[in-house]
Amino acid sequence: MTMTATLGHAHADPHHIGRATEHPGPAPKRIVTAYGFWVFLLSDIVMFSCFFAAYAVLVDQTAGGPKGSEIFEQRNVAIETVCLLLSSFTCGMAGIAADVRNRLWFYLAMAVTCVLGLIFLAIEFKEFADLVARGYGPSRSAFLTAFFSLVGCHGLHVSAGVLWLLTMMAQVFAKGFRADVLRRMMCFALFWHALDIIWVGVFSVVYLLGGGA
Amino acid sequence: MSDQTHMHVEHDIAPGDEEQHSVRERILGYVVGLGLALLLTATSFFIAGTNLVWQPSIPVALIVLAIAQMGVHLVFFLHITTGPDNTNNVLALAFGLLVVFLVVGGTVWIMAHLNQNMPPMDQIMQMPR
Amino acid sequence: MPAVPTVEATMLGKLDWSAIPLDQPIPLAAGGVVLLVILGVLAWVVVKGHLPYLWHEWITSVDHKRIGVMYILLASVMLLRGGSDAIMMRIQQAIAYQSQGYLPPEHYNQIFSAHGTIMIFFVAMPFVIGLMNLVVPLQLGVRDVAFPTLNSVGFWLTATGALLVNLSLVIGEFARTGWLAFPPLSELSYSPGVGVDYYAWSLQISGVGTLVAGINLVTTVLKLRTKGMNYLRMPMFCWTTLASNLLIVAAFPILTATLAMLLLDRYLGFHFFTNEAGGNVMMFMNLIWAWGHPEVYILVLPAFGVYSEVVSTFSSKPLFGYRSMVLATMAICIISFMVWLHHFFTMGAGPDVNAIFGIASMIIAVPTGVKIYNWLFTMYGGRIRFATPMLWSVGFMVTFIIGGLTGVLVAVPPADFMLHNSMFLVAHFHNVIIGGVLFAAFAGFEYWFPKAFGFRLDERWGKVGFWFTFVGFWVTFMPLYIAGMLGMTRRMQHYDVAEWRPWMLVAAFGMLLLTIGVLAQVTQIVVSIRNREALRDRTGDPWDGRSLEWATSSPPPVFNFAFDPDVRGEDAYWALKHHAKQQQLEDHSGPEYQDIEMPKNSPTGFVCAFFATVMGFALIWHIWWMVILGGVGAFATFVVFAWRDHDEYVIPAAEVERIDRINIEERRNLVSLAGTL
Repeated sequence: MTMTATLGHAHADPHHIGRATEHPGPAPKRIVTAYGFWVFLLSDIVMFSCFFAAYAVLVDQTAGGPKGSEIFEQRNVAIETVCLLLSSFTCGMAGIAADVRNRLWFYLAMAVTCVLGLIFLAIEFKEFADLVARGYGPSRSAFLTAFFSLVGCHGLHVSAGVLWLLTMMAQVFAKGFRADVLRRMMCFALFWHALDIIWVGVFSVVYLLGGGA
Repeated sequence: MSDQTHMHVEHDIAPGDEEQHSVRERILGYVVGLGLALLLTATSFFIAGTNLVWQPSIPVALIVLAIAQMGVHLVFFLHITTGPDNTNNVLALAFGLLVVFLVVGGTVWIMAHLNQNMPPMDQIMQMPR
Repeated sequence: MPAVPTVEATMLGKLDWSAIPLDQPIPLAAGGVVLLVILGVLAWVVVKGHLPYLWHEWITSVDHKRIGVMYILLASVMLLRGGSDAIMMRIQQAIAYQSQGYLPPEHYNQIFSAHGTIMIFFVAMPFVIGLMNLVVPLQLGVRDVAFPTLNSVGFWLTATGALLVNLSLVIGEFARTGWLAFPPLSELSYSPGVGVDYYAWSLQISGVGTLVAGINLVTTVLKLRTKGMNYLRMPMFCWTTLASNLLIVAAFPILTATLAMLLLDRYLGFHFFTNEAGGNVMMFMNLIWAWGHPEVYILVLPAFGVYSEVVSTFSSKPLFGYRSMVLATMAICIISFMVWLHHFFTMGAGPDVNAIFGIASMIIAVPTGVKIYNWLFTMYGGRIRFATPMLWSVGFMVTFIIGGLTGVLVAVPPADFMLHNSMFLVAHFHNVIIGGVLFAAFAGFEYWFPKAFGFRLDERWGKVGFWFTFVGFWVTFMPLYIAGMLGMTRRMQHYDVAEWRPWMLVAAFGMLLLTIGVLAQVTQIVVSIRNREALRDRTGDPWDGRSLEWATSSPPPVFNFAFDPDVRGEDAYWALKHHAKQQQLEDHSGPEYQDIEMPKNSPTGFVCAFFATVMGFALIWHIWWMVILGGVGAFATFVVFAWRDHDEYVIPAAEVERIDRINIEERRNLVSLAGTL
């Protein structure tokens, strides 16, 4: 009964939402892995959204401490942003190099990605260290708590990404472009690009919106 | 299970994978994406620091630019398209975005109203018992 | 802190001999008993030489069926622990009228906190995840879940969380803050002990496990279905699994973030939820319930799936209104993210916010009502067999309606102002969680037990268990509604109001019945294992089932299906059985059998959880060197896993054929038997 009901509009459904066509069976491993990681990334973004929400709620609770406009340095943030954008580009290049099995370009692109990530982390670390040294650590006010947590959470993700990146390079070195290595590489690229998207939110909401008057 | 991505027309492609393109075209895609992203970023930083724009419009403009840039990243770096081979990927993304919207929007809305109806916590703590 | 720490403080953090509760007999005795049981079981395993078997076949297993069974075992053991807490609380409230009872306040507070935490996170969650793990790949006709090794990691991380909670019995203390650890009480200034840290770290670790399980099952349902298993042919349990795991993936990060904020407050002096420096306590309530409400549906949606399967099978009819059921499930999945404020109507959000969330809360009752009617209409005109799983399902319908209706009652903000935090609320959520989730867990347990182990459970003891639990539930919790109406608030260690006393006594009596019910079910398992030869299910289809899990033998071979099933409609296996497809089973013969590749077992999950345990314990007691050790160990485990060269092994075609032939032989008997009926 169901079959006749669904077969009726077989061609009126190009997006397969009703899947009038027969389901073809299990998807290939590459799709399964990437899709699972995609779902993980969405959950990670939901986690970030909580820190964004906390920041939005607490941004005015300075408790007599500094406001955002008094402590943010746009120049640093601009450099950080450019680093991440370029690293996203080089990460994409590394992905292409892996797909065409070109080791040299792969190592080169990954190394550049790594260096750009490390520069980003260094700048962020210095910003945090300076703030703490001036007495504006996360314990100073709820605003600083939310600021340090949101930006720091992104920084932790970038650090984990760098660790993962180095592991990926070691894996390609030891195992070559094996199918499972390529799948992990694809997940890594998704991760790195997703961190960039979150950074767009961070610099827009925290530094630019919060840095204005 | 095999690892070939593009043989199965019936399946959605993996998130992050592109349709079959030459290496040149793929690199070009990243270059265009990078260019657009840098342009939007520069605009954001410019608008935030300028006096040339009507001030109350700045937050709105920054949000719009941020969303636009996220879109650029999704399309050019994560290769999310509206094609039929991307249905599941886009649906998952839409669900995630809905939740993000509900959590952030709901929190801001609820918390704003709590603050309207309650004195700040430090005043409560100093109330005579 | 500028002072140089002593050697002890560096090595042991906050840990010293005062952490062992030598002065408190009850936790010490309880902890001692648990320890003795664990040591006894371990000794028995080692002496009998079962250790290699356990290690190779269970602990390192990545087979979804084995992992599912281990989840359910964990949940059952923790049910006994959480149930003991419940018994202690009921006795305390029965005797603590104008007296202190037998539990001092600081101990009583730990018990109700541990009871809630354990029952939600370590009973209900692992039970439903276990059932989903066990059944969903079979129903979808696939060989394993999308990420088998991660599945094992997820289970062992959940077990880590449970272990840490139980460790708090003997080393240190558990939280005294209630199961959601509301600040400011849970902040360092008001809870300086390790209790809240035990709570938060065990939930963080098991939360990672749950997230992993969620991602795994979402991907399995969306990407691994067998040929022809279109979305609208999936059994209802798969749909509710999809919805529930989408909720896990979307909601558990909120819990992780919220608890991370609380931990940052406690460990590093942040000000998210403190009273000082502009922190906002209400943000915790807001965020934790933004997770907490979807969590309710994470639990109850799979339960609805179980009832759908059971009711349809035991009424010998297809599920009534399949599509409306799918729609209702997905509607609940979305709306459950729009109602969380109803948990704190009384916190002063103002009429417009309260009204919107109140209306949303009432709306979500509509799809739930649709489901109830669908089950009723499925039964209507069916040939109903009242086996134990069906009894639990009918018991659920009767019980859950009351729970649902009182839920709609407290969704009305003005009514909620009267009932908030009263015993009425306690009765309401036990009514939905016991009547909804626990009954489903038991129904699913009875229903799929033959599939998992190859023999049925004893029906007589099962029915005894059902009736005592069912009646016991009503006798325990209806009085709590009344006590709530009489103004009794929740979490009272003692009270002086004479009118409440009789109801507390009745509730304690109900608890006795519930205890007998649980004991009857334990007896049922023991009796069934003894009589397993008589109860053996040789056909793989003991209930005349309708979905694909019954198309394979009981217990299924490690590869589940010798051939990928080809699905042509709803109720895939029913169609196979009854539309002249019987011969198909016999037709598969000779050369068609092929080698099957299966994922290799891996100790990754167990080793990873070991390091997580070390790390969690070290974090709780501020032993920083050990934290680093645990973290490095966990990372190293994953690198070692990533380095291995062969992640699959091959089952040769001849072996597949041999295993499958046995099943076919038994099934042929079933078919000829059915022919004679």
